[in-house]
Amino acid sequence: MSTKGISRTTAAVLTIAIIVVAAIGYYYFTLPPPPPKGELKFWNYWDGTNREAINALVKEWNEKNPNIHVTSVTISWGELLPKLMAAAAGGEVPEVASGDLVWMPKLAKTGILVPLNDFIKDINYTDFYPEMRKIGSYGGKIYSLPVSANNLQLFYNKDIFEANGLDPNKPPTTWDELLTIAKACTDPDKGIWGMELYTGTGEGLTWQFQVYLWQAGGEFLSADLSKAAFNSPEGKRALQFWVDLIQKDKVSPLAPWGLFGQGKAAMVMDGTWMVGGFRAGGWAPLTFDWGTAAMPIPSGGGQATNMGGEQIFIFKTTDEKQRAAWEFVKWLTSKETQIHWDILTGFMPVLDSVARDAVYTTWAQTTEPRLGPFIENQKYAHARPMVTQYPEISDAFSEEIQKALYGTVSVEAALANAETRVNQILAAAG
Amino acid sequence: MKDETKTAIICIAPALVVIGTFTLLPIFYSFYLSLTDWDGFSPIKNFVGLSNYLKLISSSDFWKSVGVTLYYAVGVTIISVVAGLALASVINRSGRLMSFHRVIFFIPVVTSFVAAGVVFRSLFSPAGFLSDTFRSIGLSPPNWLADPIWAMPALIIVGVWNRLGFNTVISLAALQSIPRGYYDKAKIDGAGSWSRFRFITVPLMKPIILLLLVMSMVDAFLIFDLAFAMTGGDPLGATRVVGLYLYRNAFHYYKMGLASAIAVIVIAIILIMSLIQMKLSKFGREA
Repeated sequence: MSTKGISRTTAAVLTIAIIVVAAIGYYYFTLPPPPPKGELKFWNYWDGTNREAINALVKEWNEKNPNIHVTSVTISWGELLPKLMAAAAGGEVPEVASGDLVWMPKLAKTGILVPLNDFIKDINYTDFYPEMRKIGSYGGKIYSLPVSANNLQLFYNKDIFEANGLDPNKPPTTWDELLTIAKACTDPDKGIWGMELYTGTGEGLTWQFQVYLWQAGGEFLSADLSKAAFNSPEGKRALQFWVDLIQKDKVSPLAPWGLFGQGKAAMVMDGTWMVGGFRAGGWAPLTFDWGTAAMPIPSGGGQATNMGGEQIFIFKTTDEKQRAAWEFVKWLTSKETQIHWDILTGFMPVLDSVARDAVYTTWAQTTEPRLGPFIENQKYAHARPMVTQYPEISDAFSEEIQKALYGTVSVEAALANAETRVNQILAAAG
Repeated sequence: MKDETKTAIICIAPALVVIGTFTLLPIFYSFYLSLTDWDGFSPIKNFVGLSNYLKLISSSDFWKSVGVTLYYAVGVTIISVVAGLALASVINRSGRLMSFHRVIFFIPVVTSFVAAGVVFRSLFSPAGFLSDTFRSIGLSPPNWLADPIWAMPALIIVGVWNRLGFNTVISLAALQSIPRGYYDKAKIDGAGSWSRFRFITVPLMKPIILLLLVMSMVDAFLIFDLAFAMTGGDPLGATRVVGLYLYRNAFHYYKMGLASAIAVIVIAIILIMSLIQMKLSKFGREA
């Protein structure tokens, strides 16, 4: 009886002890870890007014989050990637950085970035545009989030339009109209051209041409990124259009870039950032009246543009710092911060919800309606192929295409030669 | 003698340490890198033997860039040395204005090539000052920087503009070091101005002319920033000098091993060119 009683007491004590231990264990293992603390360095290349914008946001973050102090460090575009890569080789890495989206394959390949797959369960990841999500993915993992975007659309000189009897509020909407207007505006005696194309070698030519290729329905590389896909009827159509503008209709010059800005070209395709540059008070203000429009499309083709911008990513440091860095990244890419950021910088939204937000759209319509075509068409922006050999592919492609623009080889030969070279580069290790 | 040697060593030592650390060491290091497949960042540097060199030797792009660089270097060297000599003899007679002229012609030498390149780029542009001037006198201007034939002459013009001042100032100093008495005596003996130039000026200037030829050639062969700022190698590769070719491989494609091999070949080419120039002019014998 008494033994039974003792054992009952023991049993009760044991039971309570087990419950307590289990509860503590449950509490310990399932409650979120204590909020991270730390000093974070945030490397980026935003300069000028964009630098002021990011500094303002970082200041706001620091005031709200005394435990996670962020310092924004500006490094020039040309130096940032080498510095990040050098850091990868054993130097000092920042906790967070943002960089040109075309760098992402190179950076992801190094293995110094933290995969974000677990972190993004926190957020509505699919609110980011799908083409931008593609950029952050490498080898089946997600390494970066979009933080800003831009794209290419048509700029046109309203003064030249009017001088040639054209309606300055009726920019071209198709390739045929573009050609007609370009012909009307070209005046060799005054050195004025209809449509400025990027005819120098390098990524400038390649990424401009890709827009025409995509509009015509073509692709740059095959879906598995293993070989060139531009040597197609669509590719020929796009290149023939360029060659005709230059060689046959003589409405586009073979000249160093920049004629539109000098008032010597009626139209040009350029990036979102030039809206900020060209306007009064910008860094390259124009002396004539100008407008923007969606890029004209070929008959039977569709709207397309090329996507530029920055992605943000976290470096492998300590667990606590990585979590702190994620808190900052999450905040910076959140809808509220992004609206603020896009208004401060004039960058295109990376979140669908921002593009449809009333505060943002009202701002865009009232403050800078010329951003309209860029905002509306961001959803048609394609990502350039995410392969580590991209810079070399881009140079080789542009060199072969340039030969067709100069009329030294045929459209067919230029595309075939470019295809051979691009495939060789892709076959070599990246 | 022994003391002299000691003093010499002591005097040379600081410079030697600096040059050794910042010039010789990197040269040897890039030779080592040229035998690897280093990407510029990764701690791994695989030894690949001479494969970078073999790639270059069989690359028509590389040899084309060497040819383009030679075109530029020979153009700039010949024009700037001859024009420098001519300008020096004119300035030599300008009396009180001499130091003023010296300064004026030297300004381009100390101007950054990048800054100059940007300015000249807009001067040469179809909407630029040069083209407008051509049009205003009824000529149709060449499409300088976008024309595969005119792009390189445009670069050479800027190269000469930059180099001329240096060559002029050195030539001037050499001219002034020729004792006036030689000319006076020759005059008395009935030598005309051509003979005096031919038999006094030229022989005495020969070591300086040679020095200027070698220096200008080496300097011009290393052109990078001007081409980078003005043409970026366009059009159709007409101005893609070896410096640009190297830069693209090193900092655009991150092929540091291949880029180092290019650098080593450039060093070899410059060495060979300098040796040939010295041999041809029998350096020092007539000086």
